Amino acid sequence: MDEEILQDFLVEAQDLLEQLNEQLVDLEQAPDDSDLLNAIFRAFHTIKGGAGFIGIKPLVEVCHRAENVFDKIRNGEMAYTPEVADVILKVYDTIQAIIERLAEGERDIEEDAVDPDLLKELDALFSGDAADEEGTGQDASAEAGGEATPAEVKLDLPPDWDPDEEITDEEFEMLLKMREEKLQQTQQQESGAGDAEVKLELPEGWDPDEEITDEEFEALLKMREEKLQQASGSGSDQQAAASSQAIESAPAQKQEEKTDTVAKPKDKPAEKKPAAKSADSGKSESGKGGAAHQPKQESTVRVDTKRLDEIMNLVGELVLVRNRLLTLRNGAEVDIEEISNAVSNLDHVTTDLQASVMKTRMQPVKKVFGRFPRVVRDLARKLGKEIELELRGEDTDLDKNLVEALADPLVHLVRNSVDHGIEPPEERVKAGKPRVGKIILAAEQEGDHILLSITDDGRGMDPEKLKRKAIEKGLIDEMTAQQMSDKEAFELIMAPGFSTAETISDISGRGVGMDVVKSMITRLNGSIEIDSVLGEGTQIKIRVPLTLAILPTLMVAFGDDSYSIPLTSVQEIFDYDPAHTNRIDGQMMVQLRERSIPLYFLKEWLAPDLAPAEDREENDKVVIVNVGGQRIGLVVEQVRGQEEVVIKPLGVMLQKLAGYAGATITGNGSIALILDLPGVLQRYQNMQQKGGHHVATH
Amino acid sequence: MLQPTDQNKLKEEPFVSPVEADEEESIGPMQRCVLFNLDRETYGIDVSSIREVLRVGRIRTVPGADEKILGVINVRGVIVTVVDMRRMIDVPVSEITDRSRIIIVELDEERPVGLLVDNVMEVRDIPEKRIEPLGSSQEDNSRYIQGIAHYMEKVIILVDVFNLISDAE
Repeated sequence: MDEEILQDFLVEAQDLLEQLNEQLVDLEQAPDDSDLLNAIFRAFHTIKGGAGFIGIKPLVEVCHRAENVFDKIRNGEMAYTPEVADVILKVYDTIQAIIERLAEGERDIEEDAVDPDLLKELDALFSGDAADEEGTGQDASAEAGGEATPAEVKLDLPPDWDPDEEITDEEFEMLLKMREEKLQQTQQQESGAGDAEVKLELPEGWDPDEEITDEEFEALLKMREEKLQQASGSGSDQQAAASSQAIESAPAQKQEEKTDTVAKPKDKPAEKKPAAKSADSGKSESGKGGAAHQPKQESTVRVDTKRLDEIMNLVGELVLVRNRLLTLRNGAEVDIEEISNAVSNLDHVTTDLQASVMKTRMQPVKKVFGRFPRVVRDLARKLGKEIELELRGEDTDLDKNLVEALADPLVHLVRNSVDHGIEPPEERVKAGKPRVGKIILAAEQEGDHILLSITDDGRGMDPEKLKRKAIEKGLIDEMTAQQMSDKEAFELIMAPGFSTAETISDISGRGVGMDVVKSMITRLNGSIEIDSVLGEGTQIKIRVPLTLAILPTLMVAFGDDSYSIPLTSVQEIFDYDPAHTNRIDGQMMVQLRERSIPLYFLKEWLAPDLAPAEDREENDKVVIVNVGGQRIGLVVEQVRGQEEVVIKPLGVMLQKLAGYAGATITGNGSIALILDLPGVLQRYQNMQQKGGHHVATH
Repeated sequence: MLQPTDQNKLKEEPFVSPVEADEEESIGPMQRCVLFNLDRETYGIDVSSIREVLRVGRIRTVPGADEKILGVINVRGVIVTVVDMRRMIDVPVSEITDRSRIIIVELDEERPVGLLVDNVMEVRDIPEKRIEPLGSSQEDNSRYIQGIAHYMEKVIILVDVFNLISDAE
């Protein structure tokens, strides 16, 4: 397999899949859109072509069938019903899984990467029968091929077998075993027919290692396709039968193990198996639209060549300024005006350059939003709800890392809206609302922040009910509940150990609660806000900084050493006045609006050897910070003000050191350490408890 | 230590060492080293793992870090940890002087480390046959030493940068 061609194929396929994901859901809304149909047909065709060329047979098989189905649909011979959509979306998932495996470096895609039942369902669709019944698949292929595909296995089921009943694990195992035995028998009969490869008559002098031109490639593809048609035409689907048999013959057990990467066996009693079910839901949680199956961060970024040109141009400018400065340095006399011109030019160029480079890291939020039509569609169908999803501001750009980091929390919130927010159609009609529920997912830039909002017109939340629940769970007491505003009550759902669903449904109640969403957003230096009107709907707003690389901080210093405290945790700053402090059980406390807050002297931790400054008492400030929900006061000496800093990792041997989030370079070229307050507290509180530090000896 | 290709390269462009006179010595594979001093001893580090040698500027201390770590410096926008070579190989600590230097070594482009040394002397090609490997003693300090070369009336201790950096992490 030529690695370069493979990589090209992967990039192309990933792009196509991304588009397909949206197109397929759109198609359900507009099943007659011929442009859309053609685009989808072409996408499958292109993937098939590439897969064929690099020799990934299972991919060819599945794409080929999907292409056939769409050919029929676009010719008006069949309709794109939700049932067809279910099958096609499964095809999508299968292709996606294979492409991902290839992208992760796997090269041996076995035939069982495609669920044989899926191929059968596709064949059934193509031959014009509905594929939702187990039996029909067989009939259909029998019709099409003139004889039953050898791959089909009839199992001798017990007479009292009810396909709709739940089955136990043992029964499932038994079924699998039965199936496998059957298969082996069939295979022995048909041995030797398992090779679906097509031999091409290559031109003389063909060198497989040589680069080929596009035309040659096209010609090859065409040759191959013709051959394939001949094979299938003459041998009454021998070709297809043989290959699908080969696929079938792979141990069924394997499918089980691979449920997360491979399409789950469908239309099989296996579906009733609890284990299989959980595997499926696990898959759908993140796998739908590929959300969960991107553990690996993308390591490449596509940059518009225009942007690169812009950067190149700016770098050229930078070189010019340098040359000018060098000339000035070598000049006989100092020309202050010239120097100041050059420096201000340098200032402009670097600012522009920084912005341009930053832009190359930006990606449209569409990358995350793209998967939601599918998520909502699948879930709504599963829950029997009717929901329209509207996406707004998809072109809003944000940092690449943020795009990836936001995917999971957003998926969770959207699923919540579908599951808990939007009511079933009947309930909506009864409440005088339109039958179809609406969810709006929007993104917009708000200064140096991105505002993401998820709005639904569902049943909303009842603050009183939330408070009662929180009291029941012991999260708050009666008194607190009474003083709580509605907004604070809504925020209760983000408290750890709080779940609103009466029964934990397998859709939103899968361990990941709102508290996890909240902590994920907090980790991105973002905030989350909930608004809800009972009976009218809920709106969740998420604010995240445009980029993760720049952090607003409060600069403080001890002597010459400066430190940055992330501004997100800073609540207020006031002058230090010893008169407002006292000691409680050895711990210094500061009084703030009739509350006692533990007080620590940062200097004694970070610069114990530094001599106190002359005017110390007057300059000292208390910075109230929020560390993991707890408020503490830190006494600092010199507050230098607010500064946005570029976070840089600390060097080797220091990255695991608790207490630092990184370092940054200040305006004068010196280094400021960025404090990680939870880490700092942990380290020094431990030290105090051990009494190993002079601060602790009171 | 050196790959055959590197040896060829070295032969093509022999380093002009002022004291390089002995014909016989220059035959055979050479290891090009930066020589520096620590407490009267001479040490060498293979040039291929050295990125640059810097004068000592302000080193920003990092409270709470291991005592071997002097702090961090800013090398053109990259934060680089500086360790005290004297502490690393357990010789008495001394003051930083005008002759002190920071040798920036790195194994790959990702992990530069600065080593504070007393002074940097010269770059020298050392015939590999003059280098005696130091056995496989796993004792703390000798792990950082790759071998000892007796060459040009000097005893040169060759530092194993790989062990040095990986152990430190």
